[in-house]
Amino acid sequence: MTHEPADAALDRALDAALTHALVAPQLPAEFRARLQLALARAAAEEADGSHLTRLRQRLEREQGQQLTELQQSYVRLRRRTLAALVSGAFAVGAAAVLALPWLASHVGPLAPLVMSATGALVGLAVAFGGWSLRPGVALSAFATDRAHRD
Amino acid sequence: MQTADAGAASDDQEVLELLRSGDAARAFALLLPRYESKIYRLCHALLRERTQAQDAAQESLVRIWRSLHRYDGRAALSTWIYAITRNRCFSALERRRRLDAAFPDASDAGQEWAQLPAQTSAPDAPELSSQQRDAQLRALVDTLPERLRRVLVLYYFEERSVDEVASMLSCPAGTVKTHLFRARAALAERLRGLGLHDPCAWLGGEA
Repeated sequence: MTHEPADAALDRALDAALTHALVAPQLPAEFRARLQLALARAAAEEADGSHLTRLRQRLEREQGQQLTELQQSYVRLRRRTLAALVSGAFAVGAAAVLALPWLASHVGPLAPLVMSATGALVGLAVAFGGWSLRPGVALSAFATDRAHRD
Repeated sequence: MQTADAGAASDDQEVLELLRSGDAARAFALLLPRYESKIYRLCHALLRERTQAQDAAQESLVRIWRSLHRYDGRAALSTWIYAITRNRCFSALERRRRLDAAFPDASDAGQEWAQLPAQTSAPDAPELSSQQRDAQLRALVDTLPERLRRVLVLYYFEERSVDEVASMLSCPAGTVKTHLFRARAALAERLRGLGLHDPCAWLGGEA
């Protein structure tokens, strides 16, 4: 150690002087009262915080349930749409097979053309109807409105 | 010393038992009178300023009150409490550092002791009162490197208990002793550097 004090007397004097100069500060008289106020404030904040936490958890739970229900409805809707398309295609095919001989006896050689044109018109009408009533809400609102009026 | 340690350990155990029984309020009421002064002194030693030390001590105790139910007894209660207090103080120091960087003119506000008149009169002036000498000595202590100053100040605040200082600063007792030795040696050198004819007499000791 290069900083060793030169003599023991100086070391002793320094120790005594430091003991005198570095007196531990006393807690201010109002410290305990201020602390009690701060603790009361913290307790109130904590109570508010726990209420908000419970509320947030409940809302998150509800939102999760709604999302799950929405997802399930969407899957059901897609299945129904697919089933309707497949059934419709089979029904149209069967109708065409049955109607073609009758149509040929009445219209003659133009029967396939008439049937194709009719099919195209029906397809266009369905597509237009589907497009114009595209938002499901509007469709249900229309249905509800109709039901009320009826 | 051993009796005091045993008493403290017994009190810590009582606090832990109260916490295990779910009575955090009584546990806090038990530890508060034992630690509030020590927490304040630690804050004062780290922050150097009374008002900030008071605020930091209060914030530390509120934090301790909030987290007490999470204390599991793996570390000593004092270790846990001092760690929270040190973190509060370091946050306060960081805030002060940012403030000083933003407003350099107000940068000396946090150094209470450094404002004291270090050299208002000649060092060996006979009319130097005891208070003036103490103030000059404290100003001299403030010129020490921070790690030495903290240890030195806490050592005298805590009635020369090396173990208590080690616990407060979370460092080995050997490190505290080394820092104390270096701090005193540095102070002696600074006293000689002031050009005093007799540093020992200036300090109030025998020539």
